[in-house]
Amino acid sequence: MPKILQIAWREYKATVKTKGFIIGLLLAPMLMSGGLIAMVISEKQIDITDRRIAVVDRTGRIAAALVQAVENRNQNEIYNLKTGAKVKPAYEITVIEPAADARAQRLELSNRIRAKQLDGFLEIGASVVHPSDNPDEAHVRYYCENVLFDEVRNWIAWPINNQLRKLRLADAGIDEAKAPDLFQWTGVENMGLVTVDAQTGQINDSDRPNEAQVVAGPLIMVMLMFMMIMMGAAPLLQSVMEEKNQRIAEVIVASVRPFDFVLGKVIGGLAVSLTASSVYVAGGMAVLARMGMTEHVPYELLPWFFTYMVLAVVMFGSNFAAVGSACSDAKDAQTLMLPAMLPVMIPMFILGPILKSPGGAFATTLSLIPPFTPTLMVMRQSSTVAVPAWQPWVGLGGMLAFAVLSVWLGGRIFRAAILFQGKTPRLGTLVKWAIRG
Amino acid sequence: MYCVEMEHVTKTFGRTVAVNDLSLAVPQSSIYGFIGPNGSGKTTTLRMIMNIFYPDSGTIRVFGETLRGASNDRIGYLPEERGLYKRMKVREILRFYGRLKNGRNVNARVDEWLERFELTAWAGKKVATLSKGMSQKVQFIAAVVSEPELLLLDEPFAGLDPVNADVMRKAVLDLQAAGTTVIFSTHDMNVAERMCNYIFMIFEGRKVLDGTLEEIQSRYGSDTIRIGVEDGAAALETLPGIMSVRNFGRIQELRMAAGCDPQKILAEIVGRTRVHHFEITRPSLHDIFVRIAGPEAKEAARA
Repeated sequence: MPKILQIAWREYKATVKTKGFIIGLLLAPMLMSGGLIAMVISEKQIDITDRRIAVVDRTGRIAAALVQAVENRNQNEIYNLKTGAKVKPAYEITVIEPAADARAQRLELSNRIRAKQLDGFLEIGASVVHPSDNPDEAHVRYYCENVLFDEVRNWIAWPINNQLRKLRLADAGIDEAKAPDLFQWTGVENMGLVTVDAQTGQINDSDRPNEAQVVAGPLIMVMLMFMMIMMGAAPLLQSVMEEKNQRIAEVIVASVRPFDFVLGKVIGGLAVSLTASSVYVAGGMAVLARMGMTEHVPYELLPWFFTYMVLAVVMFGSNFAAVGSACSDAKDAQTLMLPAMLPVMIPMFILGPILKSPGGAFATTLSLIPPFTPTLMVMRQSSTVAVPAWQPWVGLGGMLAFAVLSVWLGGRIFRAAILFQGKTPRLGTLVKWAIRG
Repeated sequence: MYCVEMEHVTKTFGRTVAVNDLSLAVPQSSIYGFIGPNGSGKTTTLRMIMNIFYPDSGTIRVFGETLRGASNDRIGYLPEERGLYKRMKVREILRFYGRLKNGRNVNARVDEWLERFELTAWAGKKVATLSKGMSQKVQFIAAVVSEPELLLLDEPFAGLDPVNADVMRKAVLDLQAAGTTVIFSTHDMNVAERMCNYIFMIFEGRKVLDGTLEEIQSRYGSDTIRIGVEDGAAALETLPGIMSVRNFGRIQELRMAAGCDPQKILAEIVGRTRVHHFEITRPSLHDIFVRIAGPEAKEAARA
C-alpha cells in the first residue's frame, strides 16, 4: 500500500474505532432532530395568559367596535375547535375616558403596566378618522413593555382599520349595504412553478409548497455538510498537534515527505466524512422509503453534495493540519481554532438571507467564494429556486483550485512548523513558512 | 566506501548557527559516535542526514546520492524523544512504522524483534501502558524493523537500566556485524569509547574531534596520571607541573603540563602521602570532552 494510504488508513482507523466517533455518529442526528423537535415544541408554547388592555379613544367612535371585535375573537378564535382547549390568550378591553392632559394620562397608564395591572394600552388619536395636519392626533399608538414581540398590536390593527373604513364610508354618505364585499379580505396564495411530466408531456398543476419543506431541504443539506466538515476536517488540528507534541511527527517525516503526511491525514479525514455521510444519506433514504416519501430524496443533488464534501474536507482539512502543526500546546490550539473555523462558520451565520433569496446577487456571489461554496451552493441547489447550470461548475472549479492551493500551502507550513518547538509562531512566521516552505 | 558524506554543511535557525561548515565521512558498516554538549548541533546533524532538515549550504550524500524533498527507506531513525501513538497497540504501531519504510516481511520481523526484546507479552497492549524503558525498546524496534542499511540513533541508551542497555547495545553490535552502518549520539562517554569505531565531537556547531578513539587520544599524548592515594584529593593540591586535578573519589586524574616529568610528580606525592595506584595514561574521552567543552575551556575561549 502506498505510504499516503498507510497514513490515511491509520488516521481513519484511529478515528472511526473510537467510542467518540460512534457516539457522535448516533448523537449528531439525534441532537439535530432534537433541536428541530424543540423548535416545533417551543413554537407551540404560546403564553395563553389573558391580556388586559386599556383603550383611550379620543375619537369616541372606535372603542365600541373594538370591544365588539375583541368579544368575537374571545368567543371564536382562542379555543381549539376539536378539543375545546384554550390555545390563545383572551383580550380584556377596558375603555378609559380621555384626559385633558394626554401626556399625564400616558404616564399614569404606563405606571399601571409597570405595576402589572395592565399589559398594554391603546391610544387612538382624535383625528384618526380623517387625519388632520397635527401628526400627534392622527396616530393609533399601542404602548407596552415588550415592543418587539406583542401580538396584540398585530391583531388590533385589523378591527381598528375595519371600523375606520366604515366610519369614512358613513361620513362620505355611502351606504355600506350597496357594497357588501367591500371589506372582504383576499389573501395571496403561495404556489410553486408548473412542471411538465417528462413521460406523458402533460402539464402538471403546481404543488402548493409547504414552507417547512422549502426550508427543511436546504437546511438538512447544509447541516449535513457542516457536520461532515466538522467530523472529517476539524479533528485534524488536534491530531496534528498531538503528533507534533508527542514527537510522532519526527518519526513520520523520517519515513514520508511532509506533503505526503498532510495529504495522508487529509485523505483519512475524508474517509471519515464519507463513512459518516454515507451512513446518514443511506439512513435518511431508508427512513423516507419506509414513510413512502422517496420523491423527497434529492437524487440529482447527491453527486454534487459528495463532490463538494470531498473538496471541502481536503480544503479545510489541510488548513486545519497546517494550523495544528503550528500549535505547541492545547492553549495554542484553542487560540488558533477560532480563526481556522471562521471560513466554516461564516456561511452558517448568513443562512437566513441566502434561504430567503437563493437566486439573489448576495447568495450567488458568496456561493462562488471557494470556502463558502460547499455549504452555500449546496443550499441554493437544494432550494426551490433554479440555480443557473454554470454556477455549480464554476463553484466547483474555484473549490478545486482552492483545495490544491490549500494542500500545497498547508504542506509547506506543516513542513516548517512540525519540528518547530518551544514558542507559538506569529502570523507573519506562518506566512513566511507558506511562501518559503 | 562511505555511507554518509557531508561537505561544508551549514544550518542556521534564525540568527543561531546550529551547524557550521561541517564536513564528515562515515565509512560503511562502522559505528560512528556523535558526542557534544546539549545544544551543540548533534540532533540537527542527524536530522539533516535523515533529510528532515535541509542544509542552508554544503552537500550531504547518503549512499552516494544527494536527497532533497524525499524520504529514504534505507535509513532507520530513532529520535531523541520517543514518538509513539499512545492509543495504538505495540504490534500494530510497529507494523505501521515498518510498512511506512516499505520494509519486507514486516509482520515476521516485528514478532522476531518483540521476542528478542522480551516484549511479546506486550504486543497486544497499548503503548500508553508501557514503561519508559519498554517504550524506548519499541521505538528502537520501529527504527530497525525495516532492516535499514543506515541506522541513526539519537541518544539510544538514555534512561535505560543496565540490563536493557546491554540488550540494546548487543542489538546494535549485531546489526553492525550484519553490515548496517550505525550513527548514534550519546552523552555517555564510556559507551562511545567502548562501542564506536569512530568518534565525532561537535561543539557550538563546529566539528572539534573526528577519528578513532586512538587517533583522538594520541593527539593529546600520555599527559594524564591516574592515581590512588591514602589521603585523597586533598593531598594532591598545588602539585608543581599539574594543570588540573579531577577527583573521582577513590581515584584522581591529574593532567600534566607539557614537558613535565611524571617521576618528579610521583616523588612529590610520595612525600605527602602513601600511593597505592599510579598509572601514566592517555586522557579518557570524558576528559577530552571536558577539556573542550568544560567551564575552563569556555573561560579560556572568552579570555
